Amino acid sequence: MAQHLHAFVLRLKALLLKRRMDRDMADELAFHQVMLREKLLRQGVAPAEVDMETRRRFGKASRWHERLRELWQFQRFENLLRDISFSVRVLRKSPGFTVVAILTLALGVGANTTVFSMINGLLLRPLPVPASNQLVVMGTQDSDPRINYSLSEPLFRGLERRRKVFTQVFAFNHSKMQVKGNNGTENVEGQIVSGGFFPALETPPLLGRTLALADDVKGGNPSGFGVVISEGFWQRWFNRAPNVIGQKLEIDNTLFTVVGVMPKRFIGADPLDHPELFVSMATEPAIHGTRNLTAAGFHAWWLTVMARMNPQATLEQANADVSANSNAILHEVIPDANWIAKREQRHFRFIAEAGSTGFTYIRLFFTKPLMAVFAMCGGILLLACLNLASLLMARGTARQKELATRLAMGATRRRLMQQLLVESFLIAVTGTAAGLAISPLVSQAISALLLGGQYEVHLDTSLDLRVFAFAALAAIGAALLVGLIPALRATSGTLSAQMKHGQHTTLAYERQAVLPRVMMALEVSLALMLVVGAGLLASSLVRLYKSGAGFDPHGVENIAFSMDQQPLKGDALMQFYRRMGEGLSHQPGVKDVSFAWIIPFAHMVWDEDFPAPDGKVHNIYQNSVAPAYFQTMRIPFFSGRDFRWGDSASTERKIILNETAAKLLVPDRNAIGQYITKKDGEKTTRYEVIGVVGDAKYEDLRSAAPPTAYVPMGQDDQETRSYNAVVRTDGAATPLVGAAHALGEQIERGIPMPEMTSMETIVRDSMSAERMMALLSVFFAVCALIVTAVGLYGTLAYATERRTSEIGIRMALGARRTQVAGMVFRQNAAVALAGTASGLVAALLASRALASFLYGTSTHDPWVFAGSIAALALIASAASLLPAVRAAGIEPMRAIRCE
Amino acid sequence: MERSIDSGDLIQGTLEMLVLKALLRGPLHGYGVAEWIEQTSQQVLKVEEGALYPALHRMELRGLLKAKWGASENNRRAKFYELTSEGHQRLNAETQRWARLSSAVAFVMQAS
Repeated sequence: MAQHLHAFVLRLKALLLKRRMDRDMADELAFHQVMLREKLLRQGVAPAEVDMETRRRFGKASRWHERLRELWQFQRFENLLRDISFSVRVLRKSPGFTVVAILTLALGVGANTTVFSMINGLLLRPLPVPASNQLVVMGTQDSDPRINYSLSEPLFRGLERRRKVFTQVFAFNHSKMQVKGNNGTENVEGQIVSGGFFPALETPPLLGRTLALADDVKGGNPSGFGVVISEGFWQRWFNRAPNVIGQKLEIDNTLFTVVGVMPKRFIGADPLDHPELFVSMATEPAIHGTRNLTAAGFHAWWLTVMARMNPQATLEQANADVSANSNAILHEVIPDANWIAKREQRHFRFIAEAGSTGFTYIRLFFTKPLMAVFAMCGGILLLACLNLASLLMARGTARQKELATRLAMGATRRRLMQQLLVESFLIAVTGTAAGLAISPLVSQAISALLLGGQYEVHLDTSLDLRVFAFAALAAIGAALLVGLIPALRATSGTLSAQMKHGQHTTLAYERQAVLPRVMMALEVSLALMLVVGAGLLASSLVRLYKSGAGFDPHGVENIAFSMDQQPLKGDALMQFYRRMGEGLSHQPGVKDVSFAWIIPFAHMVWDEDFPAPDGKVHNIYQNSVAPAYFQTMRIPFFSGRDFRWGDSASTERKIILNETAAKLLVPDRNAIGQYITKKDGEKTTRYEVIGVVGDAKYEDLRSAAPPTAYVPMGQDDQETRSYNAVVRTDGAATPLVGAAHALGEQIERGIPMPEMTSMETIVRDSMSAERMMALLSVFFAVCALIVTAVGLYGTLAYATERRTSEIGIRMALGARRTQVAGMVFRQNAAVALAGTASGLVAALLASRALASFLYGTSTHDPWVFAGSIAALALIASAASLLPAVRAAGIEPMRAIRCE
Repeated sequence: MERSIDSGDLIQGTLEMLVLKALLRGPLHGYGVAEWIEQTSQQVLKVEEGALYPALHRMELRGLLKAKWGASENNRRAKFYELTSEGHQRLNAETQRWARLSSAVAFVMQAS
């Protein structure tokens, strides 16, 4: 070992000081020659003979050097360099092949790396806090196997007191906060956190202090409400003033004191949410006012709960501990015995899961689509590798003479293999580099596509060590997959046979062609699977689009007003909305204006229980809307009348039902003028049905329209509510939000800047996962088709070229051109047929995995399957036709003579 | 890969042994080594330059010798070789091996 090391060091020195090495060798030799010459002269030999003698003994100086230098070289390394430069020359000589190879691999590796970097950002990257492996996420579970990750405040407080296996239990919730500045009010992303949040995350503040348990006592810290701000907010709002600690901030009409600044790397415990303000949970009643969630007690499920375990504790212990204490905690914190009994009956229990990567709700929605896309990417990479392997193999056959010559000249099989593998590694490395270079751009595009504008999301897809390791692994795997089999094949076989037969080894050709054909068939079947998957997802998306929402989202803009923190109440607030509506309706391009509390697909549900005449209680979705809502949304009005601004708290309660609700609550009769009753515990409220409208979807596009009841906003139970203006426009609508703000300022000074979203965007975003999957799968399917076409064409073209003389002989013996074309064409037809058959079986089996993503589409949709097969057949035929036509064009005499 | 001494190449192995022996008395340049072997063997063993220098360099790489540039007796720049402690050890081992081998060969040849 020591010997090898010694030699290594000396060789390294020789490599670095190459010129000095050469000079030394020359000097040593020259010295010896001089000494020898002097000796010979001393012995009395004639000078002419002396010259001859030295030349005889030393030979050519260059050969001498070569021998010595060889000793000092890293033989393997320098061989490798030689192989690389040789491979570069070879690849340069066939630029078409090289470009196709690099592009397909760039696509395969790039797509995989991109999706992996998203998976990394969403699922794998640990939170940037010390010892993140000690963190756990808590949830609740009952007879429904789905885990619920939202807890109520009393349940959290019950868990918080359990300190046996945990050092800290903490809770947080995202909250948009209104901060009053010099230029009006601004909406800022914030989090409401419990006292254990900062102690558990163990990240020291940049300035000041973090929030402590003392800040999270009922009524807040007696020294005042504290807020911790992010470095970004410090920069933006305070221009990095060093005296920021102690400054006042008015958040949601409540006065806070800045107590600390957190460094940039601190993002809290939700990896996708980068809050700028942190306030303690004890201040929630103050900032949320009368509608605060703390007061709602065990009815409000709003907190994400996490904990840090003792260093000695394991996840199993933590899970067992919270699970065992579930009932004790229920009895301790819930005042309602009925409620507890109901939960106990359903085996309610707490659970703890690994939480080193924090918790984000987006994971629940996007893990499965992301994994499906990842699988597609894997498929396309495999396809690219198979394709290159078969192309290389075809080239290997074409290069057999060259390889055989090199073998005959004394190259070992190992050296040849090394050279061929170097070639495929070069392709793989270049392809991976190209893929990595485009990956950040693509991942940005995909995450925009995936997450839409729905969430204020910061998915960090940056290329970290894990992503690079993945890319390297993918590249090495691809290179081996691409290069190994062709290299093994090309260097096997008897040397003399290859040398002798040269071009017209038809027998050898038939024998050797089995493996490439199998690989091409595999490629075809893989392509078919991808095309079928894309077809299913795309047709499902089209059906989803066509299914309609029950309203017309085109040209509808929503303007969200945040009024629940404002002093306007009751009738005054209604007046504000009414005047706002009138103002907006005079804006250019505006056709209709109305208001609604809940806009469709906003992930908000308000439901109430209504008993039908037969006594059965129905859960009816509700919404509170202004007059002309149905007209604005283009929801058809079947009978009765619309709401009026006059329908107010002082008049009789009115209600409008959609068709489904009318059928449930007032069966077999004209609903108009009938009375229905809402039951809320012991309290009942009577409504007069004044209209029936068409069904419209509520929660999302995938679920059918629920039975829905609309009440007029003038009869709202809430004193203050933030409504959304729904505005139908005939196109350009961007200045609306400014107009709304200006109008608001005229009516009432100091209202926060309203936010505008277009209904079309909301509808589109509600399908973001479906859309992303469909778009990507179609993209991959098209790529798969192109790659397969290139592969089918390439292998057949090579094979046909090698048969030129054979075909020439056939034609000379009387074969017709159509026969020759048919013969060549049939070769690929067999491959395509076999591939399609196996791909069909595989696709039928694999498409079941897509079932949960499909809307109104069977996983065995015959049209999709037929279309995919037709697409593949078309591509395969086109790819095979060219070589067949070329074969038919061979001139027999020229072909035979060229041997 | 280079071949190890023990792989049975008698000529090369023997040459290396002779070089080690030549350097036992102190540092020498390549020409000096060749001269010493020729003179000591009374002109029986002629060392070819084409074999000597590769051997010297190989032994240097293997750590049996170390090389230094210095001035020769006629004041020229020359590369001097010198035994390392490993070289000494190797010489001892080779001497014993040679003694065994030569006496064994002699024994066989004297048999009647």
